[in-house]
Amino acid sequence: MEIVHPTIHWGYLLPVILPVGGAVLVLMWDAFFSRGERSAIIAITLATLAAALGVTLGARALPGLAASFGGMYLFDGFTQFLYVVILFASIFSVLIAAAQRELDDTPAGEYFGLILFATSGMMLMAATRNLLMIFVGLEVFSLSLYVLAGYLRARPESNEASLKYFLLGSFASGFLLYGMALVYGATGSIDLIEIATRIHENPASRGAVFLMGLGFIVVGLGFKVAAAPFYMWTPDVYEGAPTAVTAFMSVGPKAAAFAAFFRIFLSTGDASGNLDSVLWVMAVLTMSLANLVAIWQSCVKRMLAYSSIAHAGYLMVALVVSRSNPELATSGFLYYMLVYVFMNMGAFCVLVLISNMREGGSTQLDDFAGLASFRPGLAAAMAIFMVSLSGLPPTGGFVAKFHVFSAALKGGYVWLTVIAVLNSVVAVYYYLRLVVVMYMREPEGGATRRGPHPGWSYALAALTLAVASTLQLGIFPSSVLDFAHRSTVFFN
Amino acid sequence: MPGIITSILFLPMLGGLLLLFAREGARKGSGGVRAFALAVSLATFALSVVMYVGFRPGFAGMQFVEQAEWIPRFGISYKVGVDGISLLLVMLTTILTPIAILFSFEDVRKKTRLYYMSLLFLETGMLGVFFALDFFLFYVFWEGMLIPMYLIIGVWGGERRIYAAVKFFLYTMAGSVLMLVAIIWLYFVSGVGTFDILAHFREPVDVALQPWLFAAFAISFAIKVPIFPFHTWLPDAHVEAPTAGSVILAGVLLKMGTYGFMRLAIPLFPTAAREFATLIICLALVGIIYGALMAMVQTDVKKLVAYSSVSHLGFVMLGLFSFNLLGASGSVLQMVNHGISSGALFLIVGFIYSRRHTRLIEEFGGLIRVMPVYSTFFIITALSSIGLPGLNGFVGEFTILLGAFERNVWFAVFAALGVVLSAVYMLWMLQRVLFGEVSVRANLGLADMNKREWIVMLPMVALMFWIGLYPKPLFNRIEPSAKAWLSQVNRRVLRVEAAPERKIQKSVIAHVQRVEVK
Repeated sequence: MEIVHPTIHWGYLLPVILPVGGAVLVLMWDAFFSRGERSAIIAITLATLAAALGVTLGARALPGLAASFGGMYLFDGFTQFLYVVILFASIFSVLIAAAQRELDDTPAGEYFGLILFATSGMMLMAATRNLLMIFVGLEVFSLSLYVLAGYLRARPESNEASLKYFLLGSFASGFLLYGMALVYGATGSIDLIEIATRIHENPASRGAVFLMGLGFIVVGLGFKVAAAPFYMWTPDVYEGAPTAVTAFMSVGPKAAAFAAFFRIFLSTGDASGNLDSVLWVMAVLTMSLANLVAIWQSCVKRMLAYSSIAHAGYLMVALVVSRSNPELATSGFLYYMLVYVFMNMGAFCVLVLISNMREGGSTQLDDFAGLASFRPGLAAAMAIFMVSLSGLPPTGGFVAKFHVFSAALKGGYVWLTVIAVLNSVVAVYYYLRLVVVMYMREPEGGATRRGPHPGWSYALAALTLAVASTLQLGIFPSSVLDFAHRSTVFFN
Repeated sequence: MPGIITSILFLPMLGGLLLLFAREGARKGSGGVRAFALAVSLATFALSVVMYVGFRPGFAGMQFVEQAEWIPRFGISYKVGVDGISLLLVMLTTILTPIAILFSFEDVRKKTRLYYMSLLFLETGMLGVFFALDFFLFYVFWEGMLIPMYLIIGVWGGERRIYAAVKFFLYTMAGSVLMLVAIIWLYFVSGVGTFDILAHFREPVDVALQPWLFAAFAISFAIKVPIFPFHTWLPDAHVEAPTAGSVILAGVLLKMGTYGFMRLAIPLFPTAAREFATLIICLALVGIIYGALMAMVQTDVKKLVAYSSVSHLGFVMLGLFSFNLLGASGSVLQMVNHGISSGALFLIVGFIYSRRHTRLIEEFGGLIRVMPVYSTFFIITALSSIGLPGLNGFVGEFTILLGAFERNVWFAVFAALGVVLSAVYMLWMLQRVLFGEVSVRANLGLADMNKREWIVMLPMVALMFWIGLYPKPLFNRIEPSAKAWLSQVNRRVLRVEAAPERKIQKSVIAHVQRVEVK
């Protein structure tokens, strides 16, 4: 048997190699230097991520050179854009973690090492056309996140989050793997291009087994993106995990899992036609349930958890319509994802700063009362994020929604769009309630306030970047829109 | 005058951003903030006067048009311009904002910097709605202006301010998201490939789709106007808003709804507009009479003025949907008139509220003995609202009634009933508040108008008399655009209805061409 030496383009692998290398370095650093080296570890982590981001942005995805390892690693435009999304999410989560008081006394090397490993897992999952690699990437980041969710060992909620996430997550992974096995059984391949050609050439292969396989994959990935009806774990896990981890979980896994969703559904083509309506129902359920439940939350962290489910619903809309017009839907998804990083991470950053002020790190709605009177800048930033999350102009959230809804309407999905926009009206209610509390109520005198955390400059950097990007993506979106449109090419 | 519109449009916003760097002193320091805000709004007004002077009256089309690429991928551009319909509404906005700011000098004492920032941002938002010639731009301003208004009601409002602010926001938002869907849908079905509003005027919309698209636009605008039965947010918002907020809300924001009908909903979907006309006119008539009856039974003066708005805006809708020149130009003028007289009424109510901290009618009586100047202003303003000949309200209402009469006698009859009722509730209120004996002891020591209040009221009263006695220059500017608007509406009705086959052929040809290009 002849062994073919696979083509490898090392330059394109660099964005993934860097975080992995950084993770190893951070772990070693922790082992060899004293425990007080927290800021050095943070600096290494940020430098690695920034370097990876720089390499990603500097790279040019070229059709002939995209695939390494026979398509197991794929650096196309889609990958490139998602790398930007994931790396930004990771950078934000590091900045937020650096500013979070609760994490001060926890071991830094492991924390940031795990963050970097999770980042590389997400990147790998987004950058492949191979079902097995999708699974490997998913497991790499999931295992890191299971640990990270339970990082505050002393807190029962954190343990609960970790355990819940782990049990349900591995169950969902089982579904995913089983689905992939069935698809392999029906088509005889785990490479998406191969699968696409085989179901095209041999209609018999798209029988019940194939569809069942796809169905299981939907379950597995639906769990990871927290789509209804597989979102039940989300609120508890998001609430219990350390806020910096929650912030990361609400963006990174979504980007990676949706990437896999898009690649699988766009490559299987008409063969998975009936799943369109399944996804339609899932999108509607996700948006509507999450938004309706979010209204009743009095804990802001939990509210943001439901909000992140709702946004998964809007992203599902892009997925549903991706079959009828791939370019607009995919670029809409990418743009939405990028905007979501900035507005959501920004909101979580404010949340951390608020919880820093309170004993016990409470993040109730009442903790925001009158924020505008004593921290006007922080309140204004949070208001901008809330406006953007509700999808109002002139913020990035509006352009993102506009883009996704355009894709849906162009595909003729009028009712889906109407449901989505009505949902955003419901969402406005709970997002603006935070603005009401911050601006229209007086501060509560009784609560204890603590001095600023030494890591506030990290938070300031994160907030500045988040506010500037949210507004820039809303007012001058053109250049990033073009980038998103250029990034809609698959499999070249 | 290149760039004049952009300067007018963004000057207030720039001023608002500069306020970010202002220091908000505990008490005396706010003097600088409010003086700066006033200066910015006066400069905006001065620029708009320059634009008004440079406006060519006999010309129907858009003037001072500016265009720049914005998001070329979606065919979105920054395109602004002004015609006879929007010109007066722009002027109304730039006049009312400095007045609202000046009124707030004493009225608003907490968080002054945020307050004046909100007012200035709001001005940019409102001007943007009137200037925008691109759907996307229009929508950005339309929604963007909600946030400052929401803050103004919610932070500086009365007791139930949060309820009123949230209700205002959700109602408006619910309508406008449907409009967003319609805008995007229109973009795709029309095949124009741009969000340029004027380009869409040239391309008739499929008759089968028109009712849907029209309904989506109309609900959004109907909530804003508000047309009965979408009016329930209005009394709450008006009553709870601070006086300056009510002035802007009644003076300008409501006009955005009627303006939306005139600029977008009717000319884009003329066939559907004709089909819905009778329904909308009936709702408008219900609104006229219902608003007047509700105003009559109010015990709170501010609420009375709020309900009178429902009634008066019914007239504007009636004029618009009469589809004739009298109705259309009367409507535009009435939009301005209502802005002036209801704005002035809210100011008058604000004056007395700042003295007595109540607005209940029964708390007053005989004010004319204590505050003769104030009472005179009150009477003039009330008469202007009723539509007394010689004052502004008469010209607009009368023109609209003529237009309605031309369309259907009964419409005019019912609307005229509304005029009578408005005289009843206004005069009855005047009688209880101003005349008779001074029944409440606290009213005896009230001071009459001070200098600042004089300055606030004088331009309003001057405008009432000017428009009432010599409306010709305004009509000169309105009429060419109103005529063009009418011919647009009528011609397009004919084109679409008379030659459906040709349209289908055309679209087939266009389709074939597109395929060939690919």
